[in-house]
Amino acid sequence: MAAAIDGILPSTLQELVTKSKVLVVGAGGIGCEVLKNLVLSGFTQIEIIDLDTIDLSNLNRQFLFHREHVGKSKARVARESALSFNPDANIIAYHDSVTSTDYGVNFFKKFDVVLSALDNRAARNHVNRMCLNADVPLIESGTSGYNGQVELIKRGLTQCYECTPKEKQRSFPGCTIRNTPSEPIHCIVWAKHLFNQLFGESVEDEDISPDSADPEAQNENTNIKEIDGSGDNGSEDKEKVTETGSEFNTESKNDGNVVRINTRQWARDCNYDAGKLFNKFFNEDINYLLRMSNLWKSRKAPLPVQWATLLANGTKNEDQEFVRQHHKVWTVEECAHVFANALKELSCAFLKLKDNDTLVWDKDDQPAMDFVAACANVRSHIFDIERKSRFEIKSMAGNIIPAIATTNAITAGISVMRAFSVLQSKWEQCKAVYARLRLNGRNQFLVADAFFPPPNPNCYVCASEPAITLRIDTKRIQVKAFRDDVLIKTLNMVNPDVTVEATGSIVISSEEGETESNEQKILSDMNIVDGVILKCDDFFQSYELSIIISHFDAERDDVLFEVIADKNQLQPKREQKPKDTSAEQSSSRKRATNGRDIPDDGPSTSKRSRPSEVEDDNDDCLVIEEDDVEEIVNTKTEQLTVKSPPKVGAKRKPVKILDNEDITEILDSSDEEDLGPAKSKRTKLDDSQPNEVISID
Amino acid sequence: MDVDNKPSDAGVELTEAENELYDRQIRLWGLESQKRLRTANILISGLNGLGAEITKNIILSGVNLVKLHDDKLLTEEDFCSQFLAARESLGSNRAEASLTRARALNPMVDISADTEPLKQKTAEFFRQFDVVVINGESNEELLRIDGICRESGVKFYATDVWGMFGFYFASLKQHSYVEDTFKYKLISKPNEKKKFETVATPVQRDVEYPAYSAWIDFDLNAASYQRKLKRDGPGIILLRVLQTFRNKHQRDPSYKSRDTDIALLQAIRDEIAPNSTLSNDALGLLFAQISPAVAIVGGVVAQEVIKVVTKMEAPHRNLFLFNPETCMGYVETVGVN
Repeated sequence: MAAAIDGILPSTLQELVTKSKVLVVGAGGIGCEVLKNLVLSGFTQIEIIDLDTIDLSNLNRQFLFHREHVGKSKARVARESALSFNPDANIIAYHDSVTSTDYGVNFFKKFDVVLSALDNRAARNHVNRMCLNADVPLIESGTSGYNGQVELIKRGLTQCYECTPKEKQRSFPGCTIRNTPSEPIHCIVWAKHLFNQLFGESVEDEDISPDSADPEAQNENTNIKEIDGSGDNGSEDKEKVTETGSEFNTESKNDGNVVRINTRQWARDCNYDAGKLFNKFFNEDINYLLRMSNLWKSRKAPLPVQWATLLANGTKNEDQEFVRQHHKVWTVEECAHVFANALKELSCAFLKLKDNDTLVWDKDDQPAMDFVAACANVRSHIFDIERKSRFEIKSMAGNIIPAIATTNAITAGISVMRAFSVLQSKWEQCKAVYARLRLNGRNQFLVADAFFPPPNPNCYVCASEPAITLRIDTKRIQVKAFRDDVLIKTLNMVNPDVTVEATGSIVISSEEGETESNEQKILSDMNIVDGVILKCDDFFQSYELSIIISHFDAERDDVLFEVIADKNQLQPKREQKPKDTSAEQSSSRKRATNGRDIPDDGPSTSKRSRPSEVEDDNDDCLVIEEDDVEEIVNTKTEQLTVKSPPKVGAKRKPVKILDNEDITEILDSSDEEDLGPAKSKRTKLDDSQPNEVISID
Repeated sequence: MDVDNKPSDAGVELTEAENELYDRQIRLWGLESQKRLRTANILISGLNGLGAEITKNIILSGVNLVKLHDDKLLTEEDFCSQFLAARESLGSNRAEASLTRARALNPMVDISADTEPLKQKTAEFFRQFDVVVINGESNEELLRIDGICRESGVKFYATDVWGMFGFYFASLKQHSYVEDTFKYKLISKPNEKKKFETVATPVQRDVEYPAYSAWIDFDLNAASYQRKLKRDGPGIILLRVLQTFRNKHQRDPSYKSRDTDIALLQAIRDEIAPNSTLSNDALGLLFAQISPAVAIVGGVVAQEVIKVVTKMEAPHRNLFLFNPETCMGYVETVGVN
């Protein structure tokens, strides 16, 4: 408690530390370290909020927690441990979500500075808005592996968190997942979809069956149906296989839902017979794909596998040793065993559920993870893709961001150092700092920005009158989807009210039940058409936004809306080639979910149907370093330092974010359909504590 | 690629519990590194705030053994950053006072305390460790221990934090490590839009690290160094000023005599480096050990120790300095031609 002893800190700083109120958002990897630094520095008025509980895999870095704390509230245990470092501190701990309406702008106004140590973009966006509104300086931080970053967000002085577009998540066209996988991740995504088809909530766009509407295979559609009719015991799958093109549109009876229920029902009717299911997914469906011969003209054709040939000696019930060898790459035979065992466990659990309850895929649930690892590898084998160990598959399927104690300690240290400068209003000492593994061209690995990047005048959050243009298919999107997918998931509002500017008519009300009758209406039926301006107001966030509607007719494979923050961008974007536009759309629509940032992640293939994403993990956060790959490595062994040419001028590249959230999945839950509006969803959403990676350079 | 395979590394599988506990870091540095960590024995001498930070990070990483060494007693100012010692332990030995909380951080690590004065420790003592981290010592003592370590093949780190300013010096003699180099590989077909994949290739490097004496002999006022000094800032001067103060007064600047000591520091500064850019403001930030700065320096030192033990990635060569005003952390190459 440095500030409690005279002569240690300069007197002005000592006084500020003693009397300031600080809010710490997040009690994870960075949060634990921040809290320790605060109490030891002599801050006495500290509040900390985190909705998460302690997990065993946190203990390698979240040092305020020990084995006996597993399962307990992070915020509360962090408070207890920190108090033992300095019993004189007053710490209030909230085991809660910071996006809860209990923490409004007035709550934030109490504080002199807010230190955010979050792991997901949705919560970061929200805290950003609250701090902007409350005019409280926000110190935003995050880590990923060896990389860390700390930046100040202050109204009028700096960019806000939402001024720069964040890195798009990695997504894959449906055809790639269903018909033509070429990388392990494609098979992993497919395996997770399969899990959901059988046991999970029915999520749109997660078909696992061959997609005969694949543009590449299109001209053979008619043939396919004929051939399929003569196929072996696949008659009940015929409809499933030919059923395609499910989209947002609930008017259409073509909705994939019907199909999914059938798959689920079919599996149930088979008593989850491992052999039957295995053959269906890895033999019959593959044979079906083979008949779409266009697909295999320039690709290696898949090789179906058969249960009976793989497991000539039958399955073994006992838990075999290889099953627990997470670093070993299982053989296809071993995968079949794992498949059978996992299927048995999952189906038992599933059948025990009441009503329409479903299982939720969790990387830490052993049979669920086993199932995905086994299925992904069998599929990889079929398509001649490299198989992976369960350990590696868990990383990709759970989108786990590696995290270490040292990076968190360094980042949290910088965060509190910046808090000292903020309290003293030494703004010139508050520029963003990045922690890196390797030295830059000036022999630095803790690097501060040279200047504050100016706020983006077109930012749809911190501009004086925020406005966006929304390209949207008004003939296909319902009001409910507009609220959930556009306003909540994409624009990160919590509880929006929407009126038509010209007429003042209420489209969406935050009052429960008030506009329920509008929910199923298509936008165009509400006279929300091209050129209409909507006023959106989130009272809780004190956030008002004008949305200018720009209608377009979406193609089958297009996503149905795209947010354009900068009006000037509208024209050029429209002129782009369709495929690029669609890539943009998918990413902006799905901003809330995310995939891993992989350096070789180029534009996806040209054929597109609904993109699929990898969902995420709930852990710490952040940074991927471009320098690591861009550096020119001096091969002289004598020269230890790795040099890259010093950077010139404006250094900030667009911020990259790897966001880890299960939000799409949660909000799409069919179980929630009848629970009504935003409130129940919010609770659900809060339960998933996501994860994120930012990279700024 | 494997560097310098110790027999103890081979064939030792991690237990399921270890795999679970260390999951997030294994995903960063790999299984092989985790196995190397598990065999590593580390000495941390000087259990002030900085010592506590380094200890915490090293223990969390999952090494085999950590020896906490200190012959000093816990004082009030230690509570500015020494979170391993409880308040009730005021006046007791700092290493012993840290044991309970240190062990709670990771029950899988063998942790013990040693309270004998460092001066009495001979080569035999230091040879038990793979890495030796010494904190808060005089240059004379640092030179002696570095000499022993270099003879014994033990990796040596000297480190300190004064207030918010800190440094470390790495003396690793000959060190081999593996790092990835990256190349772009064209993966698209000729008629497609160009698409690249980054290919990481592990490369082994062997690097020579000078002895601690290189820093003692380093001439701050050498004409050849002035351009670099101007670019990097006066941190290196501050380090010399503080070590001179410690040598001259047999103590560090104290908050109890804050104003007098700032004046003494100014005098040393003006003697060592007249007209330097080292400001009086910076001299006001050097008392006790301030937690966030200690977290940064302690985090950096522990990360370097982990690099050394795992033989992955280049340990920075060789003098690290942290500037608390900018939060910049940079490396000076001292004694390397």
